Amino acid sequence: MAQVRLVDLGKTYDGASANTIKGLDLEVADGEFLVLVGPSGCGKSTTLRMIAGLEEPTAGEIWISDRRVDGLEPRERDIAMVFQNYALYPHMTVAQNMSFGLRLAKVPKAEIRQRVETAAETLGLRDYLNRHPKALSGGQRQRVAMGRAIVREPGVFLFDEPLSNLDAQLRGQMRTEIRRLHDRLSATTVYVTHDQVEAMTLADRVVVLKDGRIEQQGSPQELYDRPATRFVAGFLGSPQMNMLSGEVRQGALDLGGGSQLALSADRAAPLEGRKLDVGIRPEAFRLAAPEVAVIHGRAEMVELLGATSLVHFVHAGQACTALLEPSEAPRAGQPLHLGLSPDRISLFDADSGRAV
Amino acid sequence: MTALRRPLALTLILLLILACFFAPFLWIVSNSFKPQLGIFSDVTPISWRTFLPLEPVLDNYRSLFERTNILRALLNTAIVSVGQVTLTLILCAMAAYALTRIKFRGSQVVFVVILLTFLLPVEAMLVPLFQVVSGLGLANSLLGVMIPWIASPFGLFLLKQAFEELPRDLEDAARIDGAGHVRTFFSIILPNVKVPLLTLGLVTFLFSWNSFLWPLVIAQNPDIQLIQVAIAQQGSPTQLPNWGETFAGATVATLPLILLFLVLQKYFTQGMAMSGIKG
Ligand SMILES: Nc1ncnc2c1ncn2[C@@H]1O[C@H](COP(=O)(O)OP(=O)(O)O)[C@@H](O)[C@H]1O
Ligand SMILES: [Mg+2]
Repeated sequence: MAQVRLVDLGKTYDGASANTIKGLDLEVADGEFLVLVGPSGCGKSTTLRMIAGLEEPTAGEIWISDRRVDGLEPRERDIAMVFQNYALYPHMTVAQNMSFGLRLAKVPKAEIRQRVETAAETLGLRDYLNRHPKALSGGQRQRVAMGRAIVREPGVFLFDEPLSNLDAQLRGQMRTEIRRLHDRLSATTVYVTHDQVEAMTLADRVVVLKDGRIEQQGSPQELYDRPATRFVAGFLGSPQMNMLSGEVRQGALDLGGGSQLALSADRAAPLEGRKLDVGIRPEAFRLAAPEVAVIHGRAEMVELLGATSLVHFVHAGQACTALLEPSEAPRAGQPLHLGLSPDRISLFDADSGRAV
Repeated sequence: MTALRRPLALTLILLLILACFFAPFLWIVSNSFKPQLGIFSDVTPISWRTFLPLEPVLDNYRSLFERTNILRALLNTAIVSVGQVTLTLILCAMAAYALTRIKFRGSQVVFVVILLTFLLPVEAMLVPLFQVVSGLGLANSLLGVMIPWIASPFGLFLLKQAFEELPRDLEDAARIDGAGHVRTFFSIILPNVKVPLLTLGLVTFLFSWNSFLWPLVIAQNPDIQLIQVAIAQQGSPTQLPNWGETFAGATVATLPLILLFLVLQKYFTQGMAMSGIKG
């Protein structure tokens, strides 16, 4: 199959004052499902389009399977791409849409038919092969777009926000399908999204991009548990991580509002006196008796989500949320006492935003 | 009541407007079936006699086809019109594609300069055009009649707009599928702008079929006269115009246009609405 390697990749658009992509180094292993995630405008599409060959890099190299491909046409790169708005050819039927590339590549007719049929079978499109895209639902169009990629049997699949035009339910469904498809074809995949849920659920490895730079990369669990920066911490996870200002004084973390959290001596010592941002996942809180609780407040609003309850409260002027069992969650207006274990918090330097 | 009255008033107004447009045409057609004397005696007072040939005669048509070379002129016009439509479509589509989709320095300037030529009236360009076309050795040729108009700024504008409305991802997808510019243009772009192409084709055909001044100047040889010129010039300079024959010629010249529009009407109005240009 195929690996992808980006070496010091850079892109500055004509007429743009700043670099869109700055010195990107990235390797995608054979068969890996890599998700590039980041806020809108951070350069995800630009990166993907450079891998595809739709944009020229202005610096660096792109390698696919030991072949340097920057400068090659997309068709010579052994890739296929799925676009956000599907980009199906409106005047062609589903079958023609899927086979266009193969016809251009002069693949024998019998083989084209066989590949299209197999793909249609896999994607549940058997009955739609003779329809035009406008007679299909959003989900079906999405499948056709994927079918068009599959039939080419590429070494690398590239997805640019393929699910963002679908409604929430369908999005969840297609997410599972994409992952299942990947496991079945075990094709190297680079998947771009701004949706952290997609990133967490789909990826073998997540790369968080910010302003054209890699902010952090790792498995979804690593990124979730040990975010390297305040940005990653805030970007991944829903509901968002709580962020409180704190300072270490005499070996304990002062969270403001009279709250103190004891830290182990070797963790506290190097941080003594530094201004910190303290990241606490909503699920890291648990109810505690008033004598042992770290945070004392009042439940302002309680959202019942079914399996869990989301309790909103204010601590030291900062809006926070805690994820609690519905059976034990207080009602709005009731006092709230929360305990917190020191190994479930993330500490960031208040100025640089880097984990400490 | 009021709900009924308003459409009625509207209908009456529309009928009136229709009559204003239709009356001259009806008058021409009916007079083409009258002898010369009848034409003049029926003009006033205006009555249904003015618009209906009570004793229709075919003399005008007979002499038109026997005495003049109208069939030849029709054929010439058809060649010029079809040729002009074909060349205009090819040239404008390719230019518009290049200007919308291929990035090159100064493409915006090129586009604006081309559009500016739209502002020059034909009359102002007549003499220089004549010199250029004669200089090319194309005077008195059908190619010479059509060639100045095939690079149509209107066509460029219309198609550029149509191309811009197509999502760019379509071309990216085609490129990934392995299509180059030429293949993308013919297999992906053109099939998705059929209506604007048809509109441009129709407008060009109409323009070409009805053109008078330029063909009059550049094609003086009777063998390559176009229909509008032929109708205007059928009498000799010393004779009084034979109006019946002129009307018969005008009727014959208009028939193909009417047929064409009846068949393609749907696309014509669609395209006009799309381009935001009134017909
Ligand atoms: N063709 C282009 N010309 C100039 N700037 C562009 C172009 N495409 C994207 N950009 C800019 O590059 C930045 C990154 O865009 P993009 O890669 O599309 O972001 P993302 O996909 O992460 O939302 C944005 O600021 C955008 O405005
Ligand atoms: Mg994007």
